[in-house]
Amino acid sequence: MKKDLISMEDLSVNEIEEYLLDAQKIESMPLADRVKYLPGRIMASLFFEPSTRTRLSFESAMHQLGGSVIGFAETAATSLSKGESFTDTIHTVENYSDILVIRHPGEGTARLAAKESHLPVINAGDGSNQHPTQTLLDLYTIQKDLGKIAGLKVAFVGDLKYSRTVHSLIRALMKLNVTDFTLVAPESLRLQKYFMMSDQPGKYRFQETESLEEAIRHCDVIYMTRIQRERFPDLVEYEKVKDAYVLNAEMLEEAQSHLRVLHPLPRVNEIAYDVDKTKHAGYFPQMRNGVIIRQALLLKHLGVKI
Amino acid sequence: MKNPNEMLLIPKIDLGIVIDHIPAGDGIKILEIISRYEEMHDVIVSLGLNYASQKLGRKDLIKLQLEFLNPEIIQHISIAVPGVTIKAIKDYNVHSKVVVQPPKEIKNLLECKNPNCITNREKHVGTLFTAVDGETRQVRCQYCERIFELNELDVLID
Repeated sequence: MKKDLISMEDLSVNEIEEYLLDAQKIESMPLADRVKYLPGRIMASLFFEPSTRTRLSFESAMHQLGGSVIGFAETAATSLSKGESFTDTIHTVENYSDILVIRHPGEGTARLAAKESHLPVINAGDGSNQHPTQTLLDLYTIQKDLGKIAGLKVAFVGDLKYSRTVHSLIRALMKLNVTDFTLVAPESLRLQKYFMMSDQPGKYRFQETESLEEAIRHCDVIYMTRIQRERFPDLVEYEKVKDAYVLNAEMLEEAQSHLRVLHPLPRVNEIAYDVDKTKHAGYFPQMRNGVIIRQALLLKHLGVKI
Repeated sequence: MKNPNEMLLIPKIDLGIVIDHIPAGDGIKILEIISRYEEMHDVIVSLGLNYASQKLGRKDLIKLQLEFLNPEIIQHISIAVPGVTIKAIKDYNVHSKVVVQPPKEIKNLLECKNPNCITNREKHVGTLFTAVDGETRQVRCQYCERIFELNELDVLID
């Protein structure tokens, strides 16, 4: 049976740990060995919405494994611009490839593609819903940098309402026994309550605050996000909150020495450039981990053992 | 002269369906659902409002003079007004009865409220909701994964 990756909600703790373990194996493997895994296999990279890191890291991951890539990075160059439906596009592309990687502004799109297609589907971001491959690379980064995940104190900062990376990661951390969350967001961008729902409600602590300083002192990981201009129906509202939280090096003097600052990137101005040189900056290594984790999941979803 | 009270009561039926234990005020809602199904247009329907009820204080009641109520309509009612009792009547007696609760999985019947959900962006895509809690008070869209109160979702009918 084919295996899709659509939402972190679908994954058991065991499955998450398997992905992380596979990524570890791949990271320790020389490039010359990796290239032997997927010759002759084709990944379709279907990006209906702009992306730099996710798309390029998927494509790079596939090339490094010896496979090849077809696809598009914007819909203007496809028959969608002539009015073709999403499902027809999927039924077309599945004739030309072995696995589908999909980024789309509509929520639930990857789930629909997975139902429609006989090929494995990997969700590379569906609107403001889920971004599981980003979450797996975030988890991999946290584990690698701090040696563990369970029991850490994690803060999320910025756009907690529309950010799919936040939604995916919070739910995954809850599964992995992270229980102490600090949520730093302006009133209009707070996390929706249903992301905090659990069948063990007493287990988790969600501290909502508007103070970034408080989060810096309290936490082991600070996960910064960009306020996403493209998700705002009203740009006046965007202007009000776009500079709500800016992290700089001076603020980090209050932090515990092991604190890691992560960010799914791109950043606009929420992390000042002087943070890049501090020992806390984890977002560039985080980005490099993207290729490794995506190799692990291309192999798994194409049914290839490492 | 007839007793005026008698004239207000719904007559007993020898064969049909009774929808009972409808919370007062929701009878109209169920009537509206029934009227949306073409197959129900010729059925004789009696509606009683605000009857005294031990269980609910006040209740509404609907009697339908037909032998068999389409399960799709029953599901629809169970979603709009959970907990009503549906009784099948034969020879003036209750032949069978069932308390209807919304199902754990609701397919192609509810419209997702998230305008950015793919089921709204591509209208040929059917919808699928699953229960979040035991009583199906809240449901999750299986596409966009948003959670909604069941009673805030609109029902799709062709």
